[in-house]
Amino acid sequence: MKELRIATSLDEALALVADGYQPVAGGTDLVVAARGGKSELPDHVVAIDRLTELSEIDSSDGGLQIGATVSHARLMRDESVIDGFTALADAAALVGSPATRNVGTIGGNVMNASPAMDTGSPLMVLDSEIVLRSVGGERRVPVSDFWTGPGQTVSQPDELCIAVAMPDLPSESGSAYVRLEYRRAMEIAVVGAGAVVSLNPEGDGRVVGVSLALTAVAPTIIAVGGIADALIGRAIDESALADVAALAGDQASPISDLRASDDYRRHTVGVMARRAVEAASRRAAGASIPVPVNRSVGIGAVT
Amino acid sequence: MTIAETPRFVRADGPDKVTGSGRYTADMQLAGMLAAKFKFAEIAHARIVRLDLSAARQIPGVLAVLTDDDVPDVRYGAGLADRTLFARDVVRYEGEVIAAVAATTKEAAQAAVDAIVVEYEPLPIVDDLEMATADGAVLVHPEWESYRASPGVPRDGNVASHSSVVRGDVDQGLREADIVVTSRYIADGSHAAPIEPRAVVAQWEGDKVTIWTSTQVPFTARDGVCQTLGLPTNRVRVIVPHMGGGFGGKCGFHYEAHIAALARTARRPVKLVFTRREEFIAPDRRRESMIVDLTTGVKSDGTIVARRGQALLDNGAYTADSSFFTQLAVMHLAGPYVIPNVDIGAELIYTNHQPSGSVRAPTAPQATWARESHTDEVAAALGMDPVEFRLLNAVETGKVGPSGQTYDEIGLTECIRKAVAASETAGPLADNEAVGVAIGWWPSIPSPSGAYVKLDGDGAGQIITGAQECGTGSVMTLRQLAADELGMDPEDFQIVHQDTAVAPYDTGATGSQTLFNNGRAVIAAAGQIAEQLRELAADRLEASMADIVLSEGAAHVAGSPDRNVPIAKLARIASYGELLIGHGSGTPPSAPEISGATCAGDAGMAAWVAPQFSCHAARIRIDRDTGVVRVVRVDAVHDSGTIINPIGALGQVEGGVVMGIGQAISEGTVYGADGRQRNPALLEYKLQTAADVPEIHTQFVEIFTPDAGPRGAKGIAEAPNVPTAAAIANAVTKLIGRPVTHLPMTPERVWEAMR
Amino acid sequence: MSHEFELVVNGVTYPVDVDPSRSLLNVIREEVGLTGTKEGCDDCECGACMVLLDGQPVNSCSYLAAQTEGRSVTTIEGIMNGDELAEIQKDMLDEGGVQCGFCTPGMIISATALFARNPDPTKDEIQIGLSGNLCRCTGYGRILEAMKHTAADRG
Repeated sequence: MKELRIATSLDEALALVADGYQPVAGGTDLVVAARGGKSELPDHVVAIDRLTELSEIDSSDGGLQIGATVSHARLMRDESVIDGFTALADAAALVGSPATRNVGTIGGNVMNASPAMDTGSPLMVLDSEIVLRSVGGERRVPVSDFWTGPGQTVSQPDELCIAVAMPDLPSESGSAYVRLEYRRAMEIAVVGAGAVVSLNPEGDGRVVGVSLALTAVAPTIIAVGGIADALIGRAIDESALADVAALAGDQASPISDLRASDDYRRHTVGVMARRAVEAASRRAAGASIPVPVNRSVGIGAVT
Repeated sequence: MTIAETPRFVRADGPDKVTGSGRYTADMQLAGMLAAKFKFAEIAHARIVRLDLSAARQIPGVLAVLTDDDVPDVRYGAGLADRTLFARDVVRYEGEVIAAVAATTKEAAQAAVDAIVVEYEPLPIVDDLEMATADGAVLVHPEWESYRASPGVPRDGNVASHSSVVRGDVDQGLREADIVVTSRYIADGSHAAPIEPRAVVAQWEGDKVTIWTSTQVPFTARDGVCQTLGLPTNRVRVIVPHMGGGFGGKCGFHYEAHIAALARTARRPVKLVFTRREEFIAPDRRRESMIVDLTTGVKSDGTIVARRGQALLDNGAYTADSSFFTQLAVMHLAGPYVIPNVDIGAELIYTNHQPSGSVRAPTAPQATWARESHTDEVAAALGMDPVEFRLLNAVETGKVGPSGQTYDEIGLTECIRKAVAASETAGPLADNEAVGVAIGWWPSIPSPSGAYVKLDGDGAGQIITGAQECGTGSVMTLRQLAADELGMDPEDFQIVHQDTAVAPYDTGATGSQTLFNNGRAVIAAAGQIAEQLRELAADRLEASMADIVLSEGAAHVAGSPDRNVPIAKLARIASYGELLIGHGSGTPPSAPEISGATCAGDAGMAAWVAPQFSCHAARIRIDRDTGVVRVVRVDAVHDSGTIINPIGALGQVEGGVVMGIGQAISEGTVYGADGRQRNPALLEYKLQTAADVPEIHTQFVEIFTPDAGPRGAKGIAEAPNVPTAAAIANAVTKLIGRPVTHLPMTPERVWEAMR
Repeated sequence: MSHEFELVVNGVTYPVDVDPSRSLLNVIREEVGLTGTKEGCDDCECGACMVLLDGQPVNSCSYLAAQTEGRSVTTIEGIMNGDELAEIQKDMLDEGGVQCGFCTPGMIISATALFARNPDPTKDEIQIGLSGNLCRCTGYGRILEAMKHTAADRG
């Protein structure tokens, strides 16, 4: 790196990005990759972590807009995230360690575009939009269109991710994110699944809306197609959950790598999918499952 | 008294370590110091056809570039001299050093390394332990016969060492058995993974070199430098600043000579600090992978009558200190059981992997995992409770073990009973929980060792010892022994240690031997001062020397505590006359005899001085949908003789158990078909975190052991690492109905076994 | 091009002029000269390099030094209360939480941040709070015991 500029205003940051500066916030992707020898630091970097414009969590206009530099530590503790967008808090609470959660940001995750990012499936099922701004203006891209491959997005070089935005869920809704991990901390998802479930407000336990996304089983985070057709009108019972697992396994196209074989991933992503749907539906029904789900139920639970 | 109530032992080096003032090797800065970097092979097996250093030498700031051409023609190695400092013609593993560079900055050194041109002719990768011993296999060392080796160790081609223990008639025993069970188990290699990557600093002054290095064995490191660079021992001084953990990974002689040679050529001090990746791929101290075959015959009443066994150990490309591992592996395949007929062998096999070497209880965790899993299989075949089966067959006081050693008073069955009883206090098991039980054993290692003790004129004490502190606290405990001998407070002593020019020899922080042997030396040295003090006190108190008692900082006449003189006063008197200086070494305990066994490749490991015994009961929980296992409680009971420093011993057990959990479920080296490690990083080579660890309940069965360490102590540091993985395995088998036969028992392997 | 700024470590302002790609760890150790902060992996995976940045834990190996301009860094050397060991430091010594000592500075930094946020953490909160600091010696048992004592004294 030749130069680091510390931006003091969003306009300054946008101008520098337009000039080819790469943004950095916590450095947990950019700097770690450089230290690990994976990719060199860019020549010109602009630090955006002090821009107050990017560090707000705003629910004033309905829905939630989360500034790009909001850290995982804030996401996992923020009441509005925990109450309305719980899956995102589940995911944030699992990232790395307390130190990485302290500096890692949602915007960094989004732009790094790792298929194993924990916050990815929650953003997908929460129907998020990525807010991109450049000197020329602002645009919003649905997250389902945003990631195009590992490390690849539709953003332009002069665009800065300034926020992610998501609409409020209907009443009687819940969300959850669950991942397979080999340790209870310092992990990257082997596979993961995020789900939103909306139940009939009349209280018959039937699903009126559902979405499901999968982590680390494809070149990007993927949404599971046909999940609504499969579940709407049904109660979340054993047979419904078996269908969820089957759908997830069918749509996964995992690779074999150090962490797991493709077979094991295909199987376990089904397990994570059913657990995510089950936890989301229980939350939708008013159950309190503390964040993160991984440390509240199943093998990671507190003894 | 429970351990929690025992007096706290505050380490002499503790304040230094909690405040950040403690200096480790990588923290050192010397005027004019250069940075070193190595050019590694980065290919597992190849012939070097071209090595061009010219571009590297021209990088600004580069003061030295060394290869095999620049050092004496010496092959070295602990039991088998198969190694050179730099690659010579052929590279045999990815972490082999081809060249070393010293430059004014790390960046310049790295740039020079990157500018070194090496062209290779690739050679076939030897990485399959069974194929490596087949007829016509590619030899890792075609010239193996010419290497200098310890006498009596059978070798042949890719077999770098062979050992066996044969006793009784195994064929006959198996014929007489009512049930015969055969098993195969495969363990992946693993790493010591100390949190401090190694570092070396060397500085020449005239014809003498001082080397600061993070080694567990300063005298061995010194001797390696002397051998490879052709220097007498008094011109090489090895000093170890604080050392950030070793676990065997920093045993042996590694890179001290490379850095000394660079410093000599550059005429500047040079510092090497390894990256985490280098720490994973390069040093010859990996825990060896292993293939184990076991066949055991039992009578229907549960008595073991015979065992046949074989272990194939992955030696890697060079032999490091692993020649004797074959005999250790044989002992662990036999285990602490009474077995009248045994025929067990082990072979150490060259491959193009990173060399294996002593990692905490070498061979034991993997071999014990295999044997104890097999033991539960045998018990299941008998329809017998596995704990009852162990109690029936375990060695005990007065019994003869599998290698023909008769045991003095030992506490193995008490360990078993206590561990099981303690685990039962944890409440009923949920349906996804089970408790597995395993036993283990490990030798204490007698060895020569020396120390000095002195009291200066103000009565303050100094222990000057060759012993090495790698973190366990064993050296720190020495002041407790000196203090007790002199009736003083441990805090009255400071310790000068790990400096080869200052202190007498000690083997180093290896083989759990520090307190066992250096304790004897310190007691002897302090004993000489005690004699001097008694003489001075007798004179002053007008009493007989034999009646002088040293206690609470004073010398008094037995039966008359009022007739006393402070030790500080005696020290002042001595400072004007004969100084208070003691030296000690003592005679190491000698090896016990064995009867009735024939040992090929005997490395003196078939009969154990002051053997340690243990039983671990591991309570685990399984996620049946994914195969993820979580250990929720371990009850660890150890017979390590008298426990001298309870809080330190507790720390050894807890650390060993957690390392064992890692080996059981999350730590394993993954090799590619190219013979290279695929997970040389802490994200993919997964140590257990603070969030993962279970409750660990430790008990000691304290039996005074004569002819052992000080006060009847045995070793302690390695033993707790021996049976944990095995106990976890037996719990997993209970839950899924069949053993997971590949270590580590990763979630995916557990899931595969469940399918 | 170098980056010139004032780095505040343990309340002392150090003028530094460094390559902007240098990590905070590197600058603390080599420019400021405080070596209590350790390098164990240079990859955010071990926690030996942990420092507090405005009171929050950060792996200094992967944080650009220049990004700390105008902020306050606390290293292990700044944890003592004057000439007195901090409670956590005392408890680590008393309970046998220190062995080789290489993870100890980072561990104490993590604990300091944890207790600042949560004076009376549960056992699980302590375990999660320290989960970014690998220790190979202790198996964490004595460290968790030390933290429990600190928590009990505070809570």
